Amino acid sequence: MGAITGAFAMSHVVFEPEKCPDKAARVWAGMREIARRIQALDPDLLVIATNDHLNNFTLALQAPFIVGVADEYTPLGDMGIPKVPFPGSRAFADAFVRFAAAAGFDVARAEEIAPDHGFAFPNLVVNPGGRIPVLPFYINVANDIPPTPARVWALGGVLRDFIARERAAAERVVVLGAGGLSHWLCEPEQGRVNEVFDRMVIDKIVSGRGRELASLTSEDIRRDAGRSGLEVMHWIFAAATVPHARGEEIFYESMPEWITGMGGLALTP
Amino acid sequence: MSPAPYRVHRLIQDLNRDPRLVDTFMRDPEAVFQVYGITENERQLLRDGAPRALMTLGVHPNLQMKFLRIRASGGGGPSPLESYLRDLEQG
Repeated sequence: MGAITGAFAMSHVVFEPEKCPDKAARVWAGMREIARRIQALDPDLLVIATNDHLNNFTLALQAPFIVGVADEYTPLGDMGIPKVPFPGSRAFADAFVRFAAAAGFDVARAEEIAPDHGFAFPNLVVNPGGRIPVLPFYINVANDIPPTPARVWALGGVLRDFIARERAAAERVVVLGAGGLSHWLCEPEQGRVNEVFDRMVIDKIVSGRGRELASLTSEDIRRDAGRSGLEVMHWIFAAATVPHARGEEIFYESMPEWITGMGGLALTP
Repeated sequence: MSPAPYRVHRLIQDLNRDPRLVDTFMRDPEAVFQVYGITENERQLLRDGAPRALMTLGVHPNLQMKFLRIRASGGGGPSPLESYLRDLEQG
């Protein structure tokens, strides 16, 4: 059996530091610390659960869960992210999709993804040079009807079971949930940050109670964290892959200057 | 707030993917509106192009961002990640 040797979550973008240099420096230091910990685990594969921002997966076809199955990916290049290719893992991805189908999840396969910042930036931070093959795991929270937290939690469990039952004994996998926290991008409340909600999410996950987040509805999250705050689903997914693990907050900053709450955590399986 | 009609979202999605359409749109937005069947009320809000107008129209937040960027710069613009990318390059 393979093993998930680490699970992490962090916001998936940063902005200009000039408006809030001290907070920005702490956020960046936290992201670099998560990168250091992931690299120290020396995984064979990195699963990054995130969302696309209607660049690859538009409103033309709205699938709830999409896995990249390509051998290689080249970033879209939005936000100036270098268009340097990095490796995927077709064998892992296809085997997971088959396993998930048998477990009741029909996950869409994507051959052609040019990952936007939601995937490409955290990957660039934690996986410099693309040395670790990746599984891009998209939770399509940009959909008008997103998947429920309960389904996201359950699918995280399916990934855990897949690695435990189907993968080679020596395989080490790290999971990173990337996005969030609360932000009301291009909504009337833009600029609001709900620190209470953000800290509730972090506290539940690092205390081994992430499962409680699965009882939220999408509407609960939209109300308390904004439409873009649905990216917290990626954190729920990461927590579900190590459901009883405890961990620690690596950083949190309420940043109305960046119109978002910025956070990061690490779980020890 | 009701979501904008799909024709509006389709227009912005296509602008996001097609630099030639952006060129046409910047030169002659009315012709592009016509192709996509954008109504006069929708055109007024898109011509306004301010965040409040796009919210009133019910444009998806991600597509609001794209439309604002396209209108401001034809799709380009500086990267907010510049200093961080430099830091990563330096290890």
